[in-house]
Amino acid sequence: MSGRPPTRGVTGERSPGGVPSCMPSAIEVHALSKRFGPVRAVEQLTFEVPEGRVTGFLGPNGSGKTTTLRMLLGLVSATAGTATFGGRRYVDLEHPIRHVGAVLEATSFHPSRRAEDHLKSVAIGAGIPLSRVEETLDLVGLSDVGRRRVGKFSLGMRQRLQLATALLGDPEILILDEPANGLDPQGIQWLRTFIRYQASLGHAVLVSSHLLSEMEETVDDVVIVSHGQLVLQTTLAELATRAGTSTGMRIRTPEVARLTAALAAVPVAWRQVAADTLVIDAATPEWFGPFAAQHQIVLYELVHERGSLEDVFLSLTHGFDAADPANMGGGQAGHAPMPGGPT
Amino acid sequence: MIAAIRSEWLKLRTTAVPWVLVGIALLINALLILVIFLSHDNGTSGPGGGGAFVSPGYTVPHTTQQLRNLVGSGFQGYILALLLGVLCITTEFRHKTVTTSFLVMPHRPRFVGGKLIFAAIAGAVLAVIMLVATVVGGGLTLAARGGSFSDMIHQLPAVAPGMILVFALFAILGVGIGSVLTNQVAALIVCLGWFIILEGILVQLVHSAEKWVPTGAATAAANLTRGRGSDFGLFNWWQGTLLMLAYGLVFAAVGSIILTRRDIT
Repeated sequence: MSGRPPTRGVTGERSPGGVPSCMPSAIEVHALSKRFGPVRAVEQLTFEVPEGRVTGFLGPNGSGKTTTLRMLLGLVSATAGTATFGGRRYVDLEHPIRHVGAVLEATSFHPSRRAEDHLKSVAIGAGIPLSRVEETLDLVGLSDVGRRRVGKFSLGMRQRLQLATALLGDPEILILDEPANGLDPQGIQWLRTFIRYQASLGHAVLVSSHLLSEMEETVDDVVIVSHGQLVLQTTLAELATRAGTSTGMRIRTPEVARLTAALAAVPVAWRQVAADTLVIDAATPEWFGPFAAQHQIVLYELVHERGSLEDVFLSLTHGFDAADPANMGGGQAGHAPMPGGPT
Repeated sequence: MIAAIRSEWLKLRTTAVPWVLVGIALLINALLILVIFLSHDNGTSGPGGGGAFVSPGYTVPHTTQQLRNLVGSGFQGYILALLLGVLCITTEFRHKTVTTSFLVMPHRPRFVGGKLIFAAIAGAVLAVIMLVATVVGGGLTLAARGGSFSDMIHQLPAVAPGMILVFALFAILGVGIGSVLTNQVAALIVCLGWFIILEGILVQLVHSAEKWVPTGAATAAANLTRGRGSDFGLFNWWQGTLLMLAYGLVFAAVGSIILTRRDIT
């Protein structure tokens, strides 16, 4: 392990009078906005990331997650608002990578540089002892290929090398942008364990994803964004409660057209999830059974679904995304015609 | 700043760039030395002929000016120092390693400053390498042809400091240009286009521009220890040095402002 005691300087400053509050914030984002020309990538975003917990930063592709994380790290300048670590901007931190470790998409390595030389150049630049190079390579499982040139690395190996770069300074805050990309199932499992371990050390972890299902077993809290705006910040437990109360019916039928025509006359929301399958929101078998019989619709399958977390996530972000179906995380989506409206 | 310079050195030497540049530099240097000896041959010896046995007065450099030309035969390598400076910064953008560099050092003018100091040192080292190669290669050839090796060495103090200074100044200019034009290909085309074609045309058209263009300023700076004042209508050495430095630093300042405003996405 590192010969250096963990530095708590950045986040420690927050507790006034030396009295630690129970969950001090490691990261505060306040009214953060970013415009790229006419495009409002992030708008009035406010959330906090507490120490010792894993916060999932969730939203569909193109919802402003990456821009937000890059603003946090001083790579993208904010149009308005602040993003701070214990009250200080990233650019104002001394040796920032000793406090904040980041794994970002579209970061790259010089292809002819060896993995350990990449890490050494970062360590030297940030005044980190070179012994950490070996340690972090070992930690991410790359010690056997440290002497290999990065140009020969697979996507998963590059992702691990990025993680090693983030960990070099033994930071107390980790920011990970879609870190599971390129990892195989074992790699993803390893990443989950690793993230939980970091939180158990009291570190704050902010990890983005466009899939809640990928994060369900990892995160404590969720910050859900869509179209650059905050949809919800809550705990995973709270989100699960919402999921439990949301019910729906999954129906497989050879007569999709007749069923949708029949549904048009009743006030329910539905969406088609496959060629022969519909999901009807907030419906019960007690209502749908007689309804199908009345319209004489053949059914192959009738499933009463308790909503999953993913469904809650989709429905939360769906409303924001209705104008732009291309941004949907997955599945064809369509709201039912207005009840009683024209068919 | 020491840490930044050590980090830059590691970054540079773990790519092919410095080794290719040094290789090209030595190759060109060898050719130029060859040209110097052939041009003093006065046509009295053919290839494979008995050149070494012809009267030394005609076949080998022996006047002060000839010996200085021999010692400084690698001077044109300043263009490689310029490329070294350009590559030092544009490679970061080409391979997107700049994201990591900015995470390590988020203050972007400081990032450019580190590159400037590092490139100046690297440029000076390139000059030293070329001087050593010239003294060894040119000196051996000279001695083999009956010339005086020690006479050549005596000209080293007059030539070497100016050459080292000029190489450092061109490397600084390279970083400055690279910080403005971060696209590697664009930066290289602009540099080569200016120094190989446009600058010459400009001087032909406007003679008074000669002392003001980078090559004119650098040539003036090269007179550091030659004990000469301004010649050929150029500035004296310190004026030339300041002008070259100004070119490099103005570009670097503009580049720092552009980079500070730039979003790395």
